[in-house]
Amino acid sequence: MSQGTLSVPSAPAAVSPHSTLRRLARRNSTTAFLLTLPLILLVLGLVVYPFFYALYLSMLNKRMTKFIGWENFTFLFSRQTFWDVVFQSVLFAVSAVAVKALIGFILAHVLHALPAKGQRKWRGMLLVPWVIPPAISTLAWWWLFDPSYSAFNWALAGIGVDPVPWLGQAGWARFSVILVNVWYGAPFFMIMYLAALKSVPDQLYEAAAIDGATGWQRLRYVTFPMMRNIISITVLFSLIVTFANFDIVRILTNGGPLDKTHVFATYAFQVGIQSGDIPLGATVSLFMFPLLAVFAIFILRGVNRRNKEMA
Amino acid sequence: MSATTESSTFVPPERKHGSLRRERRWAMIGAYVALAVFIVFFMTPPFHMLMTSLKSSGEIADLSGNPWIVRQPTLENYWELVTRGNYLIHFRNSIIVTGCTVAITMVISTMAAFALARMKFWGSATLATGVFLTYLVPETLLFIPLFQIIGHLGLYNNLWAMVLLFPTLTVPFCTWIMIGYFASIPKELDEAALIDGAGHLQMLWKIFIPVALPGILAAMIFAFTVSWGAFIYPLAFLVSSDQMLLTVGIVSDLIRADTFQWGKIMAGALMAALPPLLVYAFLMDYYIAGLTAGATKG
Amino acid sequence: MEGNGFSRRTVLRAGALGAVASALPLVNVHGQNAGGKLVLGLWDHWVPAGNDAMRKIVMEWGQKNKVEIELDFITSVGNKNLLTIAAESQARQGHDVLSFPTWEVRAKADLLEPMDDVMGRLQQKYGELNPITEYLAKVEDKWRAVPAISGSQNKPALGRFDLLKQHAGLDVQAMYPAADKVGPGADDWTWDTFLKAAQACHKAGVPFGLAIGQFTDATDWIGSLFQAFNAVLVNKDGDITVKSDSVRQVLDYAKRLCSVLPGDVFSWDDASNNRALISGKSALIFNPPSAWAVAKRDAPDVAKECWTFPAPAGANGRYTPYLPYFWGVWTFSKNKGAAKALIEHLSQREQAKAMVAASGGYDIPPFGSMTDFDTWETEGPPKGVVYNYPVRPQHNAKQFIACYPAPPETAVQMYNQAIQAKMIARVAQSGDSIDSAISWAQGELEGFSRG
Repeated sequence: MSQGTLSVPSAPAAVSPHSTLRRLARRNSTTAFLLTLPLILLVLGLVVYPFFYALYLSMLNKRMTKFIGWENFTFLFSRQTFWDVVFQSVLFAVSAVAVKALIGFILAHVLHALPAKGQRKWRGMLLVPWVIPPAISTLAWWWLFDPSYSAFNWALAGIGVDPVPWLGQAGWARFSVILVNVWYGAPFFMIMYLAALKSVPDQLYEAAAIDGATGWQRLRYVTFPMMRNIISITVLFSLIVTFANFDIVRILTNGGPLDKTHVFATYAFQVGIQSGDIPLGATVSLFMFPLLAVFAIFILRGVNRRNKEMA
Repeated sequence: MSATTESSTFVPPERKHGSLRRERRWAMIGAYVALAVFIVFFMTPPFHMLMTSLKSSGEIADLSGNPWIVRQPTLENYWELVTRGNYLIHFRNSIIVTGCTVAITMVISTMAAFALARMKFWGSATLATGVFLTYLVPETLLFIPLFQIIGHLGLYNNLWAMVLLFPTLTVPFCTWIMIGYFASIPKELDEAALIDGAGHLQMLWKIFIPVALPGILAAMIFAFTVSWGAFIYPLAFLVSSDQMLLTVGIVSDLIRADTFQWGKIMAGALMAALPPLLVYAFLMDYYIAGLTAGATKG
Repeated sequence: MEGNGFSRRTVLRAGALGAVASALPLVNVHGQNAGGKLVLGLWDHWVPAGNDAMRKIVMEWGQKNKVEIELDFITSVGNKNLLTIAAESQARQGHDVLSFPTWEVRAKADLLEPMDDVMGRLQQKYGELNPITEYLAKVEDKWRAVPAISGSQNKPALGRFDLLKQHAGLDVQAMYPAADKVGPGADDWTWDTFLKAAQACHKAGVPFGLAIGQFTDATDWIGSLFQAFNAVLVNKDGDITVKSDSVRQVLDYAKRLCSVLPGDVFSWDDASNNRALISGKSALIFNPPSAWAVAKRDAPDVAKECWTFPAPAGANGRYTPYLPYFWGVWTFSKNKGAAKALIEHLSQREQAKAMVAASGGYDIPPFGSMTDFDTWETEGPPKGVVYNYPVRPQHNAKQFIACYPAPPETAVQMYNQAIQAKMIARVAQSGDSIDSAISWAQGELEGFSRG
């Protein structure tokens, strides 16, 4: 992995007035364009067009017979459940990502510090949560949380603690959803950070050690700045994906109890597909977009700024 | 890259080597403790899955006794999955779809990342950042409009629809990983090849890709994992059991109305985790080796 | 009131008519093209044997009528069937015939082929249907789908008669024996008696396992509870009548009931009550026989102490929760004639009998005249465990779907977003006052009622 820099070409190439060079430059950009064409077509056809169609859908009434403009949106704003969903989605995303980033960071350092010989098996074991399809591993967690059969409660009963209503009470249910999310996503952070960590040149550490820096100071002043971009990008990506998460909440709690664990994706599914109001479901899903865009712009701007400083 | 060496100004010069060694030892102990804690945390559910997969359904339903151990281990869950039902078909479908998706993703992403990172053309900056923004549009929003598109293409209830749709999940991030990686490879490499008379595509294939391999492997690992574990699109678009993929197949076949066959579900899940684990075991070594080599080159 | 509106004489008369009619040659395909291809998407039965029986019936019919059949079983797990219906209605292509869950016929009425001719013939042969099927499938006086046998279910009480006798003093086998009569205590089987029994079982450590979550197992029995108290949230004209004394009464009752239920029932899904029964930790659940059938395999000691009996009665009557499926044909199907003919064939008495037998008594035919199959008598152990699963005349009960008689467009939202369960949860789990729960519900119902 590179040193985590996103160096996006910022200035266009200077084109010489000489005709053969101009031809070369043109050929250069045609090839470039052709190389990116599949990507553009894929995104336009299967993401952009459906997105605008969903936008159109969100402006129809329940029976999809007439156009009602922003009414679905204003209706949602007046619903308490909707604001709960906003709060819950943000809560899950932010807390889960914060914990995942921390765990990933720690584990990356741990793996980096270990002797290379034994690393393979530890790495393998630490990757297992990310490798099992999330829909299925969530089922396994659900079985661990089952009201009648929970293996966790059995273990707790062994040390004299009352059975915990893992999915039965709002507070515990939210905790469980975040827990499963963290369990599933931490290995991803671990890999990304490990790669970034390994690409920090040793000379920097040696130089810092010669200057007498302690472990903590090396961490803070060498490691962290070098990894900053990768940290930002991974956090951003994970925020987006966690925010839009469907599998975990749907399988563990289906939004309950009392809608206290609903996130955008599951709430959209419930009001859209299950309750038969597809336009309203589309509206709920669309709300994710501005919220995520805010996160994205904020973080990407920081990344770009750091790149410009470095370059 | 400039190193932040201005930190040295405040460190007291009396620090001795002895304390460094002690510090290193504490760091190792701390590392092993943290490792143990997280290994336990990460491996507890898979361990429970393994135990449950070895139990008969009667033993699973029995509340007495320790659910963390299996008293009468049996391989019947695995055996039944493999010999009866559609599990193997789902497995085969998943392998086909994932294989094709990874191939398509790598072709599209590598070409696009190369162009965006190395070649300057109008709009490349916007496109590079813009490609990332496709993730802001989640699957749960897209699948309804996609019903129409997939329907018109005649691909409803067909696993090739997945091969068409999965790249939308993988290509943006893979492109993005590789842009970052490619951009850090010195441009002199390209120019040397071009001076020697190689065309762009030749340079890409013979010179560039071997050097960029760790980034490419990272993208492949990501594409494989996402494609293997995808759930929402298969759930929405695949109806017949013989077209289904593993994730949807396990949920549809092994959960019937209000009865769950936990033993088989766990067995199916563990078997479903094998291919990614193997892929990782194989690729991760090359990947990490490539990284460390790159780092010491400075 | 006479049971589901049938007197014994009506049942016998309909049965006689049915016997006569089935002796006549069945007209299979009504003048349409015999032949072609038919793609079916039927409900994936939780009992694999049910699927096998269905496949056999369908394939045999296909061979006899020279129709090429493609058959998919679509599960309701994860709402896969809802997704399929949504997908096909958007893409205007897919299967010819689908199993439509409870509310979907109304939702997709414009895309469903009218079935009045089929329904007319079936009603002539087999007598009356329960009014719930009309409410759900007859849109603007046209039948848009035929009530299915496979998948339609009741959710009466399924309890441990040993525990109920021991701790609550209720002998449910005597109250509702496997015979055409009720025993002593049946008239006393009210929600108040129910509460006392629940309290006793809670004290004995085997509480009732009553789900109060957002899944159908909860919504269905709670709907019957509300109806038994005449606590109607939205009436048939669409007026919101949640601010009423009967709603207050039922919420108060529910609060007292919840204090003797396990603390996490508010998050139970459709399988949690099954698991509570099978594990031996619960004395009573509301469920179709699937829970007993799984116990028969995995926990036979529990299974042999189970018994099915009707739900308790309230001041407004006794209501058995009922969840029907429907067989419908898309208007964009390319072989509507064959599709309708097949559906008519599947609804005949012989096929109904075969499906009920294969499903172990789980499937409930929509016609009152079809409640006399011997599967329900013979299934066991214990023999007669599902005798009282279909609604019998002596139960004095009516089949009921939660949120009836609200206008179906509103009712589907009330049902799927579990408003009744949530009201109870607010009062019992969150500790809201009954009035604040009612005001909250008022707001929600106004939201559901918007066009």
